[in-house]
Amino acid sequence: MIAQLTRNERQTALLILLAVAIGGLAMAVGGRDNLLGIHGAIAMALAIVMMFVVIGGYYAPEPTEDRTASYYDDPTKVGIIIAMVWAVIGMAVGDWVAWLLVFPDMTFDAGWASFGRLRPIHTSGVIFGFGGNALIATSFYVMQRTSRARMPDQVTPWFVLLGYNLFCIIAATGYLMGVTQSREYAEPEWYADIWLVIVWVTYFVLYLRTLARRKEPHIYVANWYYLAFILVVAMLHIVNNLAVPISLTQAKSYSLFSGVQDAMTQWWYGHNAVAFFLTAGFLGMMYYYMPKRAGRPIYSYRLSIISFWGITFFYMWAGSHHLHYTALPHWVQTLGMTFSVMLLVPSWASAGNALMTLNGAWHKVRDDATLRFMMVAAVFYGLTTFEGSFMAIRPVNALSHYTDWTVGHVHAGALGWVAMITFGAIYASVPWLWKRESMWSPRLVEVHFWLALAGTIIYVFAMWNSGIIQGLMWRTYGEGGTLAYSFVDSLIAMRPYYIARAVGGLFFLLGAAIGLYNIWMTIRSAPEAAYDMTPDEPVVAGMPAMQPGE
Amino acid sequence: MTHDFLVGFSKSFGLFYLIALSIGVLIYTYWPSNKKRFDYAAKSVLSEDDKPWA
Amino acid sequence: MSFFGFHYRLERKTIPFVLAIVGVASIGGIVEIAPLFTIHQTVEAAPDMRVYTPLELAGRNIYIREGCYACHSQMIRTLRDEVERYGPYSLAVESKYDHPHLWGSKRTGPDLARVGGKYSDEWHVAHLYNPRDVMPESVMPAYRWLKRNTLDTSTLSLDLKAMRAVGVPYSDDMIANATADAYGQASPDSAQADGVKSRYGEATNVRAFDGVQGEPTEMDALVAYLQILGKLTDVAHTPVKQASTEAGK
Ligand code: HEC
Ligand code: HEM
Ligand code: HEM
Repeated sequence: MIAQLTRNERQTALLILLAVAIGGLAMAVGGRDNLLGIHGAIAMALAIVMMFVVIGGYYAPEPTEDRTASYYDDPTKVGIIIAMVWAVIGMAVGDWVAWLLVFPDMTFDAGWASFGRLRPIHTSGVIFGFGGNALIATSFYVMQRTSRARMPDQVTPWFVLLGYNLFCIIAATGYLMGVTQSREYAEPEWYADIWLVIVWVTYFVLYLRTLARRKEPHIYVANWYYLAFILVVAMLHIVNNLAVPISLTQAKSYSLFSGVQDAMTQWWYGHNAVAFFLTAGFLGMMYYYMPKRAGRPIYSYRLSIISFWGITFFYMWAGSHHLHYTALPHWVQTLGMTFSVMLLVPSWASAGNALMTLNGAWHKVRDDATLRFMMVAAVFYGLTTFEGSFMAIRPVNALSHYTDWTVGHVHAGALGWVAMITFGAIYASVPWLWKRESMWSPRLVEVHFWLALAGTIIYVFAMWNSGIIQGLMWRTYGEGGTLAYSFVDSLIAMRPYYIARAVGGLFFLLGAAIGLYNIWMTIRSAPEAAYDMTPDEPVVAGMPAMQPGE
Repeated sequence: MTHDFLVGFSKSFGLFYLIALSIGVLIYTYWPSNKKRFDYAAKSVLSEDDKPWA
Repeated sequence: MSFFGFHYRLERKTIPFVLAIVGVASIGGIVEIAPLFTIHQTVEAAPDMRVYTPLELAGRNIYIREGCYACHSQMIRTLRDEVERYGPYSLAVESKYDHPHLWGSKRTGPDLARVGGKYSDEWHVAHLYNPRDVMPESVMPAYRWLKRNTLDTSTLSLDLKAMRAVGVPYSDDMIANATADAYGQASPDSAQADGVKSRYGEATNVRAFDGVQGEPTEMDALVAYLQILGKLTDVAHTPVKQASTEAGK
């Protein structure tokens, strides 16, 4: 990997790592009497390890000039592996946490092992570790290919990928030690947040620099979604994490906002993290990999543009549906509800567009588990958004809010849509990237597919059941006009569903682990000698001849 | 700026903004001369040519 | 160059395209959130509301650290069954000193917005030590270490100072005495106890929350916090006020 960097780039890399190591050292010393110091030490240690890696390859011969005749894919390859590792970690913790709700005493009398500290490791691990790395890795892949241009340099993508993972590691280790802001999906403390801003701005600039070099006149729509993901997440992240640390050498901070304003800001963030992290980014992935794998252009390119602006516009208004019937003023709730319902239109336009793309390629969907992953993802995307718009209606939310129904909705989206589309994209790109004919074992892809589908269905049905039962029990009145059930009654009723969910989750986790193994074996197996990577003929007949720069 | 004014503005503004935006987007996507570009873009990603263009 | 030609350039030229995304995406949030910063013009006032004592604030930070918010909400909605189960619905003003808010989004356990005073200190200590001793079906984790760990009170004045920086009216006196007040609130017989009531009001709970006087433990802090939930102001229990906020909505 280092051999691909020029001498100059090796020096730049060392300088950056040195800066990170010194920053880590300063934190370790300044924060030696609290948890900030531990995070400083972690950052320093990781930077030093990376320095050894760079030094180890420092005197390797420089890459030849002809590298510019190919795309730069090393960061994508590493990113895909990291994403799959996070998938297994994050889902394993998720399943563990699911079992904790069945057997609450599995905590070894240790703080780090209790539900409240492990749960954010699950959510951050799967959303940021798995989802985020998959988005970064695939975005590098897609932006170069749709621009027909190589990335402008070879250090920046590494900085983005590894810097982002430093953030993930700080986040996860922080939760174990109890470092958290308590803001859902934005738990890491102020110093991790500042670091992420640096990484994220670099990511954004890298994307723009690559687009600026493009040879295609038109920016392909997948890039629109990736760009919106990067941009809007930056915006959300900065505003939502405004806080005052108690001291520059202490981990603890207090958020700038309080009460209603804080809740609204948090859910403006939270919902749009769903929109721009878990939706827009993965739609970008879908708009590239699905046509590619199916060998058919998107059904309607126009529709993809219309839904892009629809999603970008509508989602921003919808955050307040997380706060129905609370102390948030009524008119804000109503706005949130209205826009959430309208959001169904661009959402279904996207899902429909994806499924129509497959029309005429159903035989491929039948035979190819990778494409089937993507097809099922589109179906679950349609289902989850329908459910979301339904739950955003105030009287429905009166029942569903605070219950497992929300968790069911979340995982219909997270397992059925986010994870499935990612697995599809990864299974498609691994053979392309490592220049193999196919995955090491197409049968294991098939096994993964069925495990994932079964796991998702079990999980989601269990949570729909438990959520609706819970919601109904809480509001049922008995003969005398008093509440019929105590809270603990509802808790007892949940138990079988919690067991079912944990079993479903185990299926899903098993699938992911098999996927990681299969990817690993694909990389290790020898490349097919006969596999010709770069057939020069465009296979699409009748493509209008457009000149670069037209 | 009073609270009532801001609330009134917030409640009505979105609608106008939505209408304007929809019109803009629809015109753009259905503008006849854009069709060629879109068709080209949709097919272009399918090309097997896996190298940057010089 | 027509308008539509411009639109074509818009996505050819990346920067305007980026600005368009920011424009389209940010409006909704701004329009919804901005008016909330003038909300004090309409929201009920709570002149009797007091700030968290240093010990309660430390307890709140433990609540955050342990992730209690992952299972417990602190927001009673304006629905009949919730009001009957948990008490008067939560008002905006009640969380005005909550940096951050802890409204929560999941009720694996019951709402805690008004749990203050519902149980004795002993009950809380026993329950946190092992919930299944008190409630055999509970799935709440046991928090035994809270009783073992002495509370770190050394940074409390920094905490209060930061809270003041974000708008909570702590006085210089409160900031200077934060560590002593934390000690005093959990040790009623100590010399430091009197200062707590004079700074935070006569109604402040000054008790050995975990049953032991002297150096406060994390259990002291957390129970002190739980016992104040819903008790910082009376406004939600005042019928007139309630009616007027209902209309205000
Ligand atoms: C895994 C989810 C979970 C976590 C995490 C959790 N609780 Fe609970 N909690 C419950 C459940 C379930 C109940 C109801 C059964 C019972 O009383 O134990 C409960 C009940 C309570 C009650 C009694 C409420 C009442 O009105 O009866 C209090 C107080 C409480 N928890 C405080 C806490 C605190 C403080 C923390 C953090 C240190 C915490 N809980 C963390 C699940 C949880
Ligand atoms: C092996 C599969 C998985 C299992 C067993 C699992 C399990 C769980 C459990 C037990 C919870 C806590 C629910 C509660 O508090 O009651 C949870 C929450 C959550 N999980 Fe998962 N999960 C899995 C996969 C995923 C994936 C892949 C994602 C995202 C891409 C995800 C995103 C989330 C989110 C966002 C929450 C928070 C939900 C909320 O606050 O309402 N999960 N999960
Ligand atoms: C049209 C689209 C959607 C709408 C209108 C919508 C609406 C909603 C609503 C109403 C809630 C419940 C809020 C509450 O009562 O607390 C919710 C929660 C959630 N949704 Fe969606 N949803 C949509 C799509 C999605 C998608 C595609 C995902 C992807 C994974 C997703 C992930 C989540 C998450 C993670 C939460 C839980 C937040 C929390 O409480 O922690 N949603 N959504």
